[in-house]
Amino acid sequence: MAKTITESQKQEKITALQKEREAFSLKLRDAVGTRKRDSLIAKIEKIDEQIKKERTGERFTRQEKRNLIAYSFIAPNFIGFALFTLGPIIFAFVLAFMKWDGNSPMEFAGLKNFIDMFSNDRFRASFVNTIVYCLATVPLTLVSALGLAIVLNQKVKGKNFFRTVGFFPYVASLVAVAAVWNMLFSPMKSGPVNMLLYNLGVHAKSLPKWSADPNWVMFTIVLFSVWKNMGYYMVIYLAGLQGINGELYEAAGLDGCNAWQKFRYITWPQLQPTTFFVTIILTINCFKVYDIVYMLAGGSNGIVSSQAMVLVYHIYEEAFRNWNLGYASAVAMVLFLMVLVITLVQFRGEKKYAN
Amino acid sequence: MKVKSTNYKIRRCLLYVVLLLLTAAMLVPFAWMLSASLKLDKDVFIFPIRWIPQHPRWQNYLDIWTKIPLLTFVTNTMKITLIVTTLQLLTSSFAAYAFAKLKFRYKDTLFMAYIATIAVPWQVYMVPQFMMMRNFGLNDSHLAIIFLQAFSAFGVFMMRQFYQGIPDELCEAARIDGMSEYQIYAKIMLPLSKPALSTLTIFTFVNTWNDFLGPLIYLKTEAKKTLQLGLKMFISQYSSEYGLIMAASVLSLIPVLIVFLSLQKHFVEGVAATGVKG
Amino acid sequence: MKKRTLSLALACAMVMTSLAGCAGAAKDATKASSESSAAETKASEPAKSAEGKTTLKWSVWDISKTTYYQPLIDAFEKSHPDVKIEMVDLGSTDYQTVLATELTGSGSNFDVVTVKDVPGYMTLVNKGVLEPLDSYIQSSGVDLTQYKGLTDQIKVEDKLYELPFRNDFWVMFYNKDIFDKAGVAYPTNDMTFEQYDALARSLAVDTPGQEVYGAHYHTWRSAVQLFGILDGKNTIVDGKYEFLKPYYEMVLKEQEDGVTQDYATLKTSGLHYSGAFAQGNVAMMNMGTWFISTIMDKIRTGEYTDCTNWGIAKYPHAEGVEPGSTLATITSLAIPSNAPNKDLAWEFINFVSSKDGAEILASTGTIPAVMNKAVSDLVSGTDGFPKDDKTSADALNTSKLYLEMPVNKKSSEIETVLNEAHDAIMTGSMSVDDGIAQMNEKIGAILAK
Repeated sequence: MAKTITESQKQEKITALQKEREAFSLKLRDAVGTRKRDSLIAKIEKIDEQIKKERTGERFTRQEKRNLIAYSFIAPNFIGFALFTLGPIIFAFVLAFMKWDGNSPMEFAGLKNFIDMFSNDRFRASFVNTIVYCLATVPLTLVSALGLAIVLNQKVKGKNFFRTVGFFPYVASLVAVAAVWNMLFSPMKSGPVNMLLYNLGVHAKSLPKWSADPNWVMFTIVLFSVWKNMGYYMVIYLAGLQGINGELYEAAGLDGCNAWQKFRYITWPQLQPTTFFVTIILTINCFKVYDIVYMLAGGSNGIVSSQAMVLVYHIYEEAFRNWNLGYASAVAMVLFLMVLVITLVQFRGEKKYAN
Repeated sequence: MKVKSTNYKIRRCLLYVVLLLLTAAMLVPFAWMLSASLKLDKDVFIFPIRWIPQHPRWQNYLDIWTKIPLLTFVTNTMKITLIVTTLQLLTSSFAAYAFAKLKFRYKDTLFMAYIATIAVPWQVYMVPQFMMMRNFGLNDSHLAIIFLQAFSAFGVFMMRQFYQGIPDELCEAARIDGMSEYQIYAKIMLPLSKPALSTLTIFTFVNTWNDFLGPLIYLKTEAKKTLQLGLKMFISQYSSEYGLIMAASVLSLIPVLIVFLSLQKHFVEGVAATGVKG
Repeated sequence: MKKRTLSLALACAMVMTSLAGCAGAAKDATKASSESSAAETKASEPAKSAEGKTTLKWSVWDISKTTYYQPLIDAFEKSHPDVKIEMVDLGSTDYQTVLATELTGSGSNFDVVTVKDVPGYMTLVNKGVLEPLDSYIQSSGVDLTQYKGLTDQIKVEDKLYELPFRNDFWVMFYNKDIFDKAGVAYPTNDMTFEQYDALARSLAVDTPGQEVYGAHYHTWRSAVQLFGILDGKNTIVDGKYEFLKPYYEMVLKEQEDGVTQDYATLKTSGLHYSGAFAQGNVAMMNMGTWFISTIMDKIRTGEYTDCTNWGIAKYPHAEGVEPGSTLATITSLAIPSNAPNKDLAWEFINFVSSKDGAEILASTGTIPAVMNKAVSDLVSGTDGFPKDDKTSADALNTSKLYLEMPVNKKSSEIETVLNEAHDAIMTGSMSVDDGIAQMNEKIGAILAK
């Protein structure tokens, strides 16, 4: 490339670029506000790079080289991801504005799917339930997972055993654990938990029917989810705890810090990236909850009552029972937007913290 | 001094009591699974629970191998799980390094694209994805499941978070020493991220091992089906053999537990243990 | 050394992924097929093997548990030596979901599909993926009257898209030992609902630990709601549901008095109806005839020991209605509109749902869609069917059959509402009147759309 350009042409280009640079630095002098200044400085730097590139006759600027190296790191994963996940997802988002059953030709529906949504009882019920479920499950799971991880990160005899046990509910077959749970929380008076409540003085008539009771079903589901999933997040926290430098604790011990202070000033801040990760994954997984509800509240006939309906169940029902793929995508879009807002807020929080 | 040590002892005792209670709560389902796996299916759901079956049916553990081609299913699942886990580990740790330690254009956009997709439930794009895979000729093939699982955004996200915890100064020093980015990744980051890699291995392994919906949609030939589909074969339209399901579920837990047990020691040797002092 | 292996592995991974990413359909197809086993046929055009045989792909479920698939195939292949039938098992629990996904778009190559139930049938018809069968029926001269009006009930806008080959209907299973012990006469084929209720109550024992339940209702809505449509005056898709009230009241009263097990407990414990009946403490249970072959089989293998002395009777009937009306659950065959070999597929369907096919089904203890004296004798003659018992044999002769769910464009949405209300009424979280009001309101809205 460099060979085809004569020396004078090259010089001409460099002069032009330098002129451009001049103009920007003049602007920079008058610019107010850090944001504007930053962007101007970035532009000047870019021109500097280009001038350097022209002078040396190299093919890529340093920045471009850096980009290429970075892309080479991402590529193996990204190509597969873009093709098999991102592509279909983008297609699904387009579907949100369509009416489609998978076979008949697609029809443009505009915002009809979104309007239909808000007049749909089942959507409204599932929307509210999903939010209630998330608000209850996320903090509870987070706290219990962190607590469990901290306890099992100490010198405890049989630590490995306890860790495995903690992870157990997560790996065990959902069919089995849901069955046991429903047995323990049997709606009958003779169910183990109800028996306990009865002996504690709860009146036989007011014993909850747990997952068969519209007032208690959500509570039962939340309790079950926390129990089943805390081992999973405990593992993430355990790995995160290993990243904390032990010298920090030693120093704190010398300064006479107590356990709470150590947690407050070392463990918690050091775990920020992990907590950020756990919160996001936990929130997303809570919004996506489906099979737990189905197994626990659906019973043997798979009927989920409107007190236990969640968004993904609604999506499933619409997509595969009624084949309203457009409508189902629209509901997913709402779900997605909710998660996106939460993630962005947290993302901003993380950046602020990192600075 | 003496007061302090008795205090300490009481606290220890309490800790163990709590741990044991938790253990009991965690293990109840497993006990139930074991007990159900030794019953006839008509007795499985009888209430109240009979924890120790009157006539334990060890036969169930033999029947599961002959009633369905369980060995084939285990081999298939093993194959898919191993390939997916390997691909997932390599590609996501690789990509995560760029997201955590390199500066480049569209970094935030690309990263948001990853995170955003985690939020979309699979049920929504399952149909378009299926139609696409079928056009590629991947319907009824293991390759479809592998592609589906191996490039998840979750792995990239998780590894990035852990790499971020490793001080930037380490990489800077290495760059000054003249190491290329690939060398930094291979020689510094990978050895340091053992806890994270172990975690990701466990999660990917468990998810792929227990995946049901993916194989359900894609795998139809019996010789290609996976363990989770096999479990469902015991539930037929008019009867369900829960004793056998539970026996097979108990067996299917074993590989997962082996992976967990063999990797969990890596959680202990974290950054501090590998000799790097930040 | 270590570094080299690692970079090698990375390079391999990269090549693999980029291959997967960039290679088009052709490359992947060869990859996939080289991996696939011999059992698989991969082609969208008619698949022909070396000897010039045409392969028909048939979607089914529970291959290993269903005894009549292979005899049907053998008989058909015998009369059509150049045809090979290949079954593809899509699993029973999610069969309709998988089938509908498979038929989405235009890439499927099934020739014959089994349709499991009416909502699933409606889904496929609404999606427009089934071929209308009327012209085939006409040219082959099939006599539709042999289906006793069933085919009229599954016509959609005057077109028939499936042909039933199996027809299970609901009967009353009962445990003779319990009747003998209580000294009560067995149920007859001519019971009214009042007699049935009284009979159930006379058998119930509520001694803790030794309970006997006079009746058992599985958690399906059909087990209670469909008592109401047997007089032929109402259907379940009318939008008016007051007619369900007496039946809900009867069952709820039985539940309250301990005559039958509590719905909430049954629902959460996931107890299967076969498990409930096999415990030997249920006197009567209304259930489909599919349970006949299960119960015979389990008694033969020695698994069921507490209900070996069983029988069946016709469903109870409302005052002034001829006994023998009952619910039907049909299983049918259909041709997808993308099927590669439609004419051959039709020949197969025609054979399976004909009288010849019916006899093969009946000899395995299954109730075929075409029922006559000869066929019902075949069923009641199978080994394990209650012998020396005219009631049980007679119970197989039905007078009128109503579909559990009639054909309606909205049937799957209606199903959802009915299920939800049934659940609310039976768990007691809604009164019968409120539940019925909810059904009226919501289904009215669905029908008006």
